[in-house]
Amino acid sequence: MQVVDKKNLLIPEVGLRVKALESLLAEKGVIDPAALDLIVETFETQMGPKNGAKVVAKAWTDPDYKKWLLRDGTAAIGKLGYIGVQGENMVVVANTPDVHNVVVCTLCSCYPWPTLGLPPIWFKSAPYRSRVVIEPRAVLGEFGVAVSDETEVRVWDSTAELRYLVMPMRPAGTEGFTEEKLAELVTRDSMIGTGLAKSPG
Amino acid sequence: MNMLTPALVLTVLGTGDPARVNEPVPAKLHVGDKVKIRNLNPASHNRLPSYIKGKLGTVTFDHGVFVFPDTSAHRNGPKPQHVYTVVFTAAELWGPNGHPSDRIYVDVWDDYVDLAN
Amino acid sequence: MNGIHDIGGHHGYGPVIVEANEPNFHEVWEGRMLSMMIGCFAAGVYNVDQFRHPIEKMDPRHYLLSSYYEKWLCTVEQNCIDTGIVTRDEVDARHKQLIEGKVT
Repeated sequence: MQVVDKKNLLIPEVGLRVKALESLLAEKGVIDPAALDLIVETFETQMGPKNGAKVVAKAWTDPDYKKWLLRDGTAAIGKLGYIGVQGENMVVVANTPDVHNVVVCTLCSCYPWPTLGLPPIWFKSAPYRSRVVIEPRAVLGEFGVAVSDETEVRVWDSTAELRYLVMPMRPAGTEGFTEEKLAELVTRDSMIGTGLAKSPG
Repeated sequence: MNMLTPALVLTVLGTGDPARVNEPVPAKLHVGDKVKIRNLNPASHNRLPSYIKGKLGTVTFDHGVFVFPDTSAHRNGPKPQHVYTVVFTAAELWGPNGHPSDRIYVDVWDDYVDLAN
Repeated sequence: MNGIHDIGGHHGYGPVIVEANEPNFHEVWEGRMLSMMIGCFAAGVYNVDQFRHPIEKMDPRHYLLSSYYEKWLCTVEQNCIDTGIVTRDEVDARHKQLIEGKVT
């Protein structure tokens, strides 16, 4: 690996080094900058937690879909078109009054891109990755999620190529809501487990 | 070089990296098995977090056959094998500091784990 | 490997710091880095395991202090060097040129 100058541990002008590498790879026919443009645009416009919210809202309103989702996340999410890179194999875990689920990748940053988009910095950073497996309740508390001593907290460490999505509990007072309206209550954090779905109104 | 063109971007993003392998590799373990994680400490790549090495858990799911990262990362072949989810109690992993109602679920490859005695 | 990345259960990293309404990319180069990573993956330069390992092998201090996408630059560059696509000297030279503003 690169020799690291103790005084200058970070790569100077890192953005220009990215540009340097991209220009070299384009000249050598490895990458097409136009394809890279389209990738950025796709991540900015098409991948995001709105996708996961639709999956959850459908499960809340359709008991058969919910059963399928919990039994075979890949197939059920695939049916809605949200299987793909870093989301090829999906496992959905449901919160209940007795069980609260929370997801992490202690080793790096594995996260289900097609359903949740790109992970926030905190998910990829040392404090969350180190602490949520050993003191999940303290971490959840920092996120404003309180769980009783009797509630089982399940921490899922995505060490392999399975990607985990939490199905939060459906909030009270949402009887008769359409899927669209329900999806608006499903936050990104509620599908990681560091939040709950929003209450209506 | 199979350069990625704009026309193929959505297909690639929709397919990803199929780590799952369609081969009938037998599973060493089954759901419900009490297992012990191996104490493996190679200098090369693996996906075995230190906090579960030597610990006792229970298999909760068999996800099927996947590429093995320990060999794949070093261009030594896929060595496909089963991946399981193993659940550990917090007490097992962390001792007295572990909350009695916490459970930690970790995905492990067949080569990382044995039946507990 | 028992690298600095293997941090489940470690103490000392402090509170989880959350940025509200965080954008996907804090700088344009981060988006270019993400897309370059995918482009190189699609071109067969590496698979996900080959992508991960060089990050684990970064100097631990560099790993802890660097931003997420700087780690990606390290591994994509290393993989391109390992597979003979570019040399370190070539990247250094082009980087230097850009810094000196000679090439836009």
